[in-house]
Amino acid sequence: MYEWSDEHKMIRDAVRAFVEAEVRPLREELEFGDTPPYEVIRKLYSTFGMDQMARDGFKKRLEAEATPATEDDTAVEGEERASGGQGGFMLLPIIELCRCSPGLVTAMGVSVGLAAGTIMSRGTAAQKERWALDLLTFDKVGAWAITEPDSGSDAFGRMQSTARRDGDEYILNGQKTFITNGPYADTTIFICKLDEGNPPQERKILSFVLDKGMPGFEQTQSMRKMGMHSSPTGMLFLDDVRAGKDRLLGETEDVPYREGAKQAFSVERTGVAAMSLGIIERCLDLCVAYAKETVRFGKPIGDHQLIQEKLARMEVHRLNTENLVFRALEKGAAGVPMDLTEASAMKLYTARAATEVALEAVQLHGGNGYMAEFEVEQLARDAKVLQIYAGTDEIQISQIARSLLA
Amino acid sequence: MNIVVTVKQIPDPAVPGELNPDHTLKREGKLILDESDSYGVEMALQLVDKAGGGDVILVSMAPNGEVSGLRTALAMGAAKAILVSDDALHGADALTTAKVLAKCVERAGDVDLVITATEATDGYTGTIPAQVAELLDWPSLTFSKEIEIADSKAKVQRQTEAGYDVVEAPLPAVVSVTAGVVEPRYPSFKGIMAAKSKPVDQVTTADLGLGTDDITPNQKIVSVEAAPAREAGEKIEDEGDAYERVVQFLEQLKVI
Repeated sequence: MYEWSDEHKMIRDAVRAFVEAEVRPLREELEFGDTPPYEVIRKLYSTFGMDQMARDGFKKRLEAEATPATEDDTAVEGEERASGGQGGFMLLPIIELCRCSPGLVTAMGVSVGLAAGTIMSRGTAAQKERWALDLLTFDKVGAWAITEPDSGSDAFGRMQSTARRDGDEYILNGQKTFITNGPYADTTIFICKLDEGNPPQERKILSFVLDKGMPGFEQTQSMRKMGMHSSPTGMLFLDDVRAGKDRLLGETEDVPYREGAKQAFSVERTGVAAMSLGIIERCLDLCVAYAKETVRFGKPIGDHQLIQEKLARMEVHRLNTENLVFRALEKGAAGVPMDLTEASAMKLYTARAATEVALEAVQLHGGNGYMAEFEVEQLARDAKVLQIYAGTDEIQISQIARSLLA
Repeated sequence: MNIVVTVKQIPDPAVPGELNPDHTLKREGKLILDESDSYGVEMALQLVDKAGGGDVILVSMAPNGEVSGLRTALAMGAAKAILVSDDALHGADALTTAKVLAKCVERAGDVDLVITATEATDGYTGTIPAQVAELLDWPSLTFSKEIEIADSKAKVQRQTEAGYDVVEAPLPAVVSVTAGVVEPRYPSFKGIMAAKSKPVDQVTTADLGLGTDDITPNQKIVSVEAAPAREAGEKIEDEGDAYERVVQFLEQLKVI
């Protein structure tokens, strides 16, 4: 695959038209006001039938889980692969939204990918029906809470949040921070350790599903941050929150948490590559236009070699990032899962590329680039977090090195 | 209720167009759905929905078996398309095009209504809707901003300079719709996926029963001139009476 298919291009053009008509006019409000992103995301879902697709997919999946696999299932999967798979339907909206407001993708990705994704991979059928479907259709907003004030990359090692058994129920306590959608989430996945009086490093990891407004559960207002302003981020406080076993994901204490996490990380990291591509494409478009129309020292700045070098480097990053996205799509279509090391390498490269391109885009625009009106300053602030969330650059590097040296 | 929508696939207007030596527009590359036709497609989809059943059928004439623009309209929800792609149609004038489209309408079978744009974005003759109606011997309702179907009649609001006239005609009829009257829907992802497998009946003029005489154009483009450069406007020095001059100017333009 070296270019998008005709179908992909139709999706790209349709979503791009939607973004220009529906999202860009809201950019000021989303970026510099306190308007939450959920209404416009819901509009995206309903406009393109993503909500109905989620509903249909959910039904199919639950039915498939309830019945043993047959040869027919394999035949259908084969057909889907032959047609190039449907990965593009997921990645293209990400790319296109990131050309305007990457925070929308963060808010959407956490709710659908992490919150609903966790319930779908670990929950019981009843839990999926109760919470995941509304998240998948974006009727409700989800948060996924792992990070704590004193834990980050070492999330499990330093995790303080606890669940204690109390009869048939659990009592949950703890504090979470940097939680995307935290202030508005209807449904929150709370990850904590089961405190049985044993040392913290020996405790089991459990996940609970919390609803907004449960007694003792506080969701703070949005925190101010460097970028991704259109994605609300908050803290969560749990003070003796009572949760029945029906809220414990899988309804058992014996789901090994790390099982399946690697696949989830790979999907998340592929998403970051698509986000990077959107940011890079937009920066490059803006830079090429600016380089042609802005005259300094008697000629367009694009005629100056130092500007040409910036544009050329941006194009190299764009090509590389696009090729990595294509590779992820092809592997998905072929039914070959992306292994964690490759996904880490992909995330490391593309997140750095997006940050470099966006910062160079600011530089190329000079004083204008530093002004909010010219858009690249927002993309530069937004891009930076791609090197931090979903595993920092340093975590990606150690993953890659660990695999090479094993 | 079955509605035919005539759709034109045109070179992307955002890209500067090029002309062939015979002054016709180059159409070799990828073509897109003429935006002015997207309103007709949307209106047809809404009317079929309202009627509770039926199909929206697209008819189009384009070189090289081009279907890109048709796919967009199929993704919006049209059921199928008839595409006439025939080298013999190179340089076709408006009447020839109308003959081809009218034959396509006949080929489509049981049709209650034909919807067209008022004019195409690349040619701007604006004559095709009435010509198609005449060739089919159906009534023609033009410049509609709203269509209502009831009692086997089409009742439309025909846009005028001052407002609109209400006119009606028995079905089947040909109705041209003005741009911007409805908001064309975005194709859903499911629609985009389905578009590829929707039938496109690709035919030649011979398949439509049209002979060489029928499609030999009576008109040809003899020369193309660049539009005259815009003249400089008039500068008014304000000596206290500028407002009067501005009012006069606007009155002259019949703006006020």
